[in-house]
Amino acid sequence: MGFDRRSFISLVVGGAVGTTLTPVIWKTLDDVSIWSQNWSWIPRLKYGEEGKRFALCKLGADAYGIKIKTIAGNPVVAEGDPDHPLSLGGICPLGAASVQLLYSPSRVRNPKVKDGNTFKDISWEEAESLLAEKIKAAGSDIAMVSGDETGSVTDILTGLVGQAGSKNAFLMPSESGPAAQALALLGGDGQIGYDLENSDYILMLGADVLGSWGNVTRNGKAFAAGRKKDAQYVYVGPAQNGTAAVADKWVPCAPGTEAVLAMGLAGVIIADGGGRPFWSGFSQFSQFVSSTYPLEKVAQITGVPAETIKELAQTLGKAKHPLVLTAAGASQGLGAFEAVAGMCLNMLLERINETGGVRVLPWNPRVIDAAMEHKNLLANDLVAYLSAIADGSASAPAVFMIYGANPAHSLPNLAKVQAALEKADFLVSFSSFMDETAALADLIMPDSYGFERLDDSYSPYGSAQPLYTVAAPIIKPVYDTKPAGDVLLSVASAAGLDLGFDSFEDVVQAKAEALGADYDDMVDGTAWVGTEFPVQDLELWSTPLREIEAPVADGKSLALAPVVRLKIGSSKLATPPFGTNAIRYDEMSGREMYVLVNGVTAKNLGLQQDDAVKLTSASGECQARLRIFEGVMDNTVVAPLGFGHTAWDDFSRGKGDNVFKLLPASTEDQTGVSRFATVQVVLGKA
Amino acid sequence: MAKSKSCVVLPFLIGLVASIVLGWWGFPKVLYSQKTQPIRFDHIVHVEDQGMECEDCHAFRDDGSFTGLPTNANCVDCHEDVQGDDPDEALFVAEYVEKEREVEWLVYQKQPDNAYFSHIAHKDIECINCHPDVANMSTPPVYFENRLTGYSKDTMKMWQCERCHAQRGTSNACFVCHK
Repeated sequence: MGFDRRSFISLVVGGAVGTTLTPVIWKTLDDVSIWSQNWSWIPRLKYGEEGKRFALCKLGADAYGIKIKTIAGNPVVAEGDPDHPLSLGGICPLGAASVQLLYSPSRVRNPKVKDGNTFKDISWEEAESLLAEKIKAAGSDIAMVSGDETGSVTDILTGLVGQAGSKNAFLMPSESGPAAQALALLGGDGQIGYDLENSDYILMLGADVLGSWGNVTRNGKAFAAGRKKDAQYVYVGPAQNGTAAVADKWVPCAPGTEAVLAMGLAGVIIADGGGRPFWSGFSQFSQFVSSTYPLEKVAQITGVPAETIKELAQTLGKAKHPLVLTAAGASQGLGAFEAVAGMCLNMLLERINETGGVRVLPWNPRVIDAAMEHKNLLANDLVAYLSAIADGSASAPAVFMIYGANPAHSLPNLAKVQAALEKADFLVSFSSFMDETAALADLIMPDSYGFERLDDSYSPYGSAQPLYTVAAPIIKPVYDTKPAGDVLLSVASAAGLDLGFDSFEDVVQAKAEALGADYDDMVDGTAWVGTEFPVQDLELWSTPLREIEAPVADGKSLALAPVVRLKIGSSKLATPPFGTNAIRYDEMSGREMYVLVNGVTAKNLGLQQDDAVKLTSASGECQARLRIFEGVMDNTVVAPLGFGHTAWDDFSRGKGDNVFKLLPASTEDQTGVSRFATVQVVLGKA
Repeated sequence: MAKSKSCVVLPFLIGLVASIVLGWWGFPKVLYSQKTQPIRFDHIVHVEDQGMECEDCHAFRDDGSFTGLPTNANCVDCHEDVQGDDPDEALFVAEYVEKEREVEWLVYQKQPDNAYFSHIAHKDIECINCHPDVANMSTPPVYFENRLTGYSKDTMKMWQCERCHAQRGTSNACFVCHK
């Protein structure tokens, strides 16, 4: 007997049979099926104790309290905070995305310095030392921009710049600047707020109250509560948006002319015997309105029929607690005299510091001696400053610090803004994310994300009451980042600039103390609510008013109505991954955004649904697809702000176009405020 | 010349036996890697010598969820500093307490995330029905990690859950475990 081919086959067959009697085949098959599901991108659950922590959402223009659900101390979900006066249990689209953004791929993970066309990682010690040296060398040739109107980090920045001897401290444009200037033009002094909750008739002149204006979350809650009390809501604007859709009435009005309508309404109210002749300035105001804004002229400019204007004025006059909100459609770009128009209408209706009316709040207290007074900060116009640098009429600063803002993407006169930023000798970004401004910067000192640092907020624009909120950090920084407030204090000290505080917490404590609030209570999320409102002695004719410059239709171009949709992002933030799922098929197709016109306008221009189109204005061009929507006024094109990013991450980069490119800014005489609410654009096939 | 007769039966038996031996003895050695816990936690010292209760470290929270393994927050009540001569205690204090790092304990019964296991729903079943009897061990058992799946050798399979549910008359509907 020998071991031959048959023997070998027999051995193999025996082995095969034996193998079937072992777990080798069955276990391997089972394990391979499990292995095939172990993809690296599948999130892994973190187990541990559930908790809820308070946080501030400052991702949009508002600053309000939210609750963060944590598991084993790690944030997992954001929810509204029923106890915070500006949330009342609600949350905005950006707040809902806030936890996801903590781990965003666009987070800047450590300090970086420009190295040719890329960045080089450096340590915090090196970064702080470098900035301190630059500040020392710059002397008073230093400037700053903040996108955080309400937080004390801005006070530290303005204090640092002020201590260095510079007045070049700026906020990003918003509604509060023109509103404060308008109040000053009428003889007042303070921050404007609105008692939406107690008003029974709210006329929203361009204010997209439920979409982007003021305290969006609180507005929604006030609207829901008002519905139960039969409060009336009238939206006036160029397109039917979410606010118009649920309002009692939508009055179509040409973009950028809402303030003219306010003056027209004032004229009708005065003609009907409204107002008090003995009021200081009443006769001059009355004469100005009747001569400058006759009803037919207002109807012609705004596109609102004269009968509708009369009806609106009469309804306003009859309401017990009416309130007029005047704003640009995109919640920025309004001139001070346009804001005055809305204020005057409220004054005529005797709505200042009254229930359901306009509230004048005390200013954010100043605890850093060198910091700029908040009203002066609001009066400094960033767009004008950057345009002057680009034009060469102002010199670029030696050190330019940008905090919580993305001016390289979200400002009008965009080409000039970008040129001005590039002219700065040393541009420093404190952004948590690799935004367009950070990408231009010479030094990035990444601020810890909102959940990773102590943060505070004093009365965001619109708040009806003085409000101070403090949020403690929820987790340690996920990456090698530091809170900008502490970094700035440390750098200032190293540069020989004494701001009087050693830590950001000391600043916040001092502010709480200045307000009479208990810091220890506040740090758990209990907001301090003030009850005192400075008495105002307003006059309708404290400053001679002027005719508001309104867009002129030329028969060839269309009026641009830029809109803000928080799911797309804000002037600080690109589209969060969370938001991409909420962008509808009729808002974006592939990587192209839609702009909206009505059927008649499209026909006049020879355009059809889904045509690739180009929008051209005096300051730039944008590409888009056309969508025909009958909820848009004639000769008007609606375009979303917030697209067209060139930095950030795959979720937002290269999607849509940046409508800020189309917006030029004109400087308002007397106030110096940059106006950019609308522009005439030519729309044609791309 | 007469053709020699082929050997068939013996090779078959050799192949059969060899494959069975390799399949039951050799295959697991290849499939599983052996790991030890980062710290040799001595349950006997804690339970018998120090009189601690199981619930001191493994308890239900107020909301009914189970704490599972303790975190440093529990341990530092006693071990903020080194208490005795055990080198593993010294290692724990030096590497985890002082560096504020959590110990990455190896969980013998770790379930995949798609299975929701509620301890409080199973509280009437003895712990050792599913877990090794570590309470009576000074050295935690070796952890066998499946090289293919990454799960523990002792991770319960779905059929085991279903069998127990069926035996106890508990629903085996998908949503009972897969939320």
